[in-house]
Amino acid sequence: MKHQKKIVFLLLMAILLLPVITACSSTQKSGSTKTAQTTSDPVKQGTNKMKQLNNKLQVALKKNDTAAIKKYGKQINTQWLSYENNVRDRFPLQYAKIERYQQPIYAQSNLADPDVAQIKENSSALTGQLNDLLTAKETKSKPSKQMDQAVDDYLKYADEQIDMLVKTTKPFVKAVKDGDIEKAKKLYAEPRIYYERAEPIAESFGDLDPAIDARVNDVDDLSKWTGFHEIERALWEKNSLKGQGKYADKLMADVLDLQKKSKTFKLTPKAMVAGAMELLEEAATSKITGEEERYSHTDLVDLQANVDGSEAVYQAAIPALNQGHKDLANQIDKQFQAFDKQMLKYKKSDTEYEDYTKLSKEQIREISNELSKLSKLMAQTAKIF
Amino acid sequence: MDNDELGTPQQKKGYSRREMLKMTALAGGGIALGASGLGTALELLGGKTAAEPANQSKVPFFGAHQAGVTTVHQSYGYLAAFDIDPSIHDVAKIMALFISWTQLAATLTQGKREINSSNKELPPNDTNEARDLGAANLTITFGLGHSFFIKGGKDRFGLANQMPKQLTEMPKIAHETLDPSISNGDICVQVCADIQQVAFHALRNLIKEALGTANIRWMESGFLNGAKGKTPRNLFGFKDGTANVTDAVDQEKVIWAGNDEPKWMRGGTYLGYRKIKMIIETWDRDSYSDQENVFGRKKDSGAAFGRTHEKEPVIMSKQPVNSHVRLAHGTGKQIFRRAYSYTNGIQPTTGNLDAGLLFIAFQNKPQDSFIPMLRVLGKSDALNEYTDHVATGLFAIPAGIKKNEYFAQHLFE
Repeated sequence: MKHQKKIVFLLLMAILLLPVITACSSTQKSGSTKTAQTTSDPVKQGTNKMKQLNNKLQVALKKNDTAAIKKYGKQINTQWLSYENNVRDRFPLQYAKIERYQQPIYAQSNLADPDVAQIKENSSALTGQLNDLLTAKETKSKPSKQMDQAVDDYLKYADEQIDMLVKTTKPFVKAVKDGDIEKAKKLYAEPRIYYERAEPIAESFGDLDPAIDARVNDVDDLSKWTGFHEIERALWEKNSLKGQGKYADKLMADVLDLQKKSKTFKLTPKAMVAGAMELLEEAATSKITGEEERYSHTDLVDLQANVDGSEAVYQAAIPALNQGHKDLANQIDKQFQAFDKQMLKYKKSDTEYEDYTKLSKEQIREISNELSKLSKLMAQTAKIF
Repeated sequence: MDNDELGTPQQKKGYSRREMLKMTALAGGGIALGASGLGTALELLGGKTAAEPANQSKVPFFGAHQAGVTTVHQSYGYLAAFDIDPSIHDVAKIMALFISWTQLAATLTQGKREINSSNKELPPNDTNEARDLGAANLTITFGLGHSFFIKGGKDRFGLANQMPKQLTEMPKIAHETLDPSISNGDICVQVCADIQQVAFHALRNLIKEALGTANIRWMESGFLNGAKGKTPRNLFGFKDGTANVTDAVDQEKVIWAGNDEPKWMRGGTYLGYRKIKMIIETWDRDSYSDQENVFGRKKDSGAAFGRTHEKEPVIMSKQPVNSHVRLAHGTGKQIFRRAYSYTNGIQPTTGNLDAGLLFIAFQNKPQDSFIPMLRVLGKSDALNEYTDHVATGLFAIPAGIKKNEYFAQHLFE
């Protein structure tokens, strides 16, 4: 026994040395770098417009002119939505930072009585981030054919999900318009699956994601709230479909719009991997807490769909992972299995899982733990870059 | 484990265990073997830091005993327990965690941190909130609970024959309302520092590192401040720790485990823990004199009944019956106390404060001191009217860690 442990220990030490060895042999990737400085560059142009609007906002803030503050706060958002896609693709790191500051400015600008101090803070932080973006280096590390293939594979998957979203939203919308509550309830969960699997794609198209998927706490003006969750509330809380026809029509139109846009959608490998992490974060923040489907309690369906979507990215990246990160790929593989196994306990059919409110605190924590383990490992897939 | 995971035989050849350990130390966070990423290195601060850190005082991490026991009481403390992940059946994975924890603790307690990968697509290794704050006397103390060795009657990892002699599950004590979800655990980690942010940062990074091998079970945080040279007061307003064992010779007798323990435990100790909720509002409405009768000391001076100075010996015949000090003193047992007060907002149902004491005591014979004292106090302590024990724990704190070794190494080898 004692002897055996010694061997285990020696073997263990041997693995520990591996990173040193591999680190020495891996060569630095070479690639051309360029900044967003060329005038014809849409990122440069868009960012300069953002800066102009942000300057106007700051003048308004100084004058404490609420009407102007709200006006420019909203215009900054419109401008951002018009070109954020380019930023997200080429400068994913800067993208996230700008999002962080422009979002709250927009949210406040829509309130009757905006928090001026908060806008001031975010506006000045935004200035810094916009300047960073103007000088940021885009690393065009000649994505190997392998990664191009990975992105193609993933986009194919995402396209399939969105096609299925359209296909399964149609009967749901019809049931809503027919006023058939029971049927609509039965058909609600399925399109959600396809949406949640491909959500990073939808999030790329500015206001399409909020139009389709906003939750009640995401909006400040309930009269402008649209999408799945608005109908979810009507079905489960109000138990009435009165007046829901227009929401059903809008949902269908938005989903079709998403389908159309996704057909020409381009994605970089980095944005793809970041999308997988976004999905797991979504799962870990809004699904595991029961906030996403607060009326229907079908959160576990969405949770599994988020993880599925992230698994599709992992699967597409396997060839790249296999080049020097095989052990990581193995661990991720095992953890997806462990997660699915955990979820199997609550699975009733492809479209039905146990009601979220029926789970005990301990059961939710168990799922959350498996999800955290998965997320920790998936964050390491960026090693392929 | 298959060969692929373990590396080829050539890589093992030619290294002694000690050399390997040293090289591991150089490889830094690589020891997490895929649990959290490879290739982490340490950033040596020293000359590199721009600003003067707020508190550069350091407590050595390596030594004959673990730090955080007889170390001068820092102002802030965290106590946390972890459970081994249900997927772990392989001792090697636990060893790997203890190696990387040791590495991280030795780094953080010396005011250093892990550096980040040059690949900016990866998450950062260090969470960064303690940057420039200094070590602030940070100590990290590791321990093992009874359930680490035996769970559900089973010898979990083939280590039960190495179990410390005095490590048991906590027996039932009178007057307790325990919440199992914040009690016990496979592993405990006590983190203390003079800057709360430094302590939290350390624990947070230990939690991050461990996920998947050991998962956080519960975490408590506390504070304790006394004027310089004076005994600190608890939230009852009384001096707490007047009769503590401070003399080095006595500490040797009371705290550190000796030759009757398995070799890896010698020079270690046991951490006894009780989370004691104080019924603050009721206490605050009690008369001054009754408060003194209940506690068994004068509130301002801390002196025992019939005495004028805090440190004068207790006269048992003068102490109020069932007063806390009389009962504790009457047991004749000695423990080394190192408690923290805690607050946690209000209790929503009553609007009363949720506050109390994280009672932490170190002793080499908990079965003969800590537990018998709890039994006596649980039955008759006048303070029980104002307290409720809501969480418990008993953990073996192994001997100090020597340089180039890792936590509990001699338990495994």
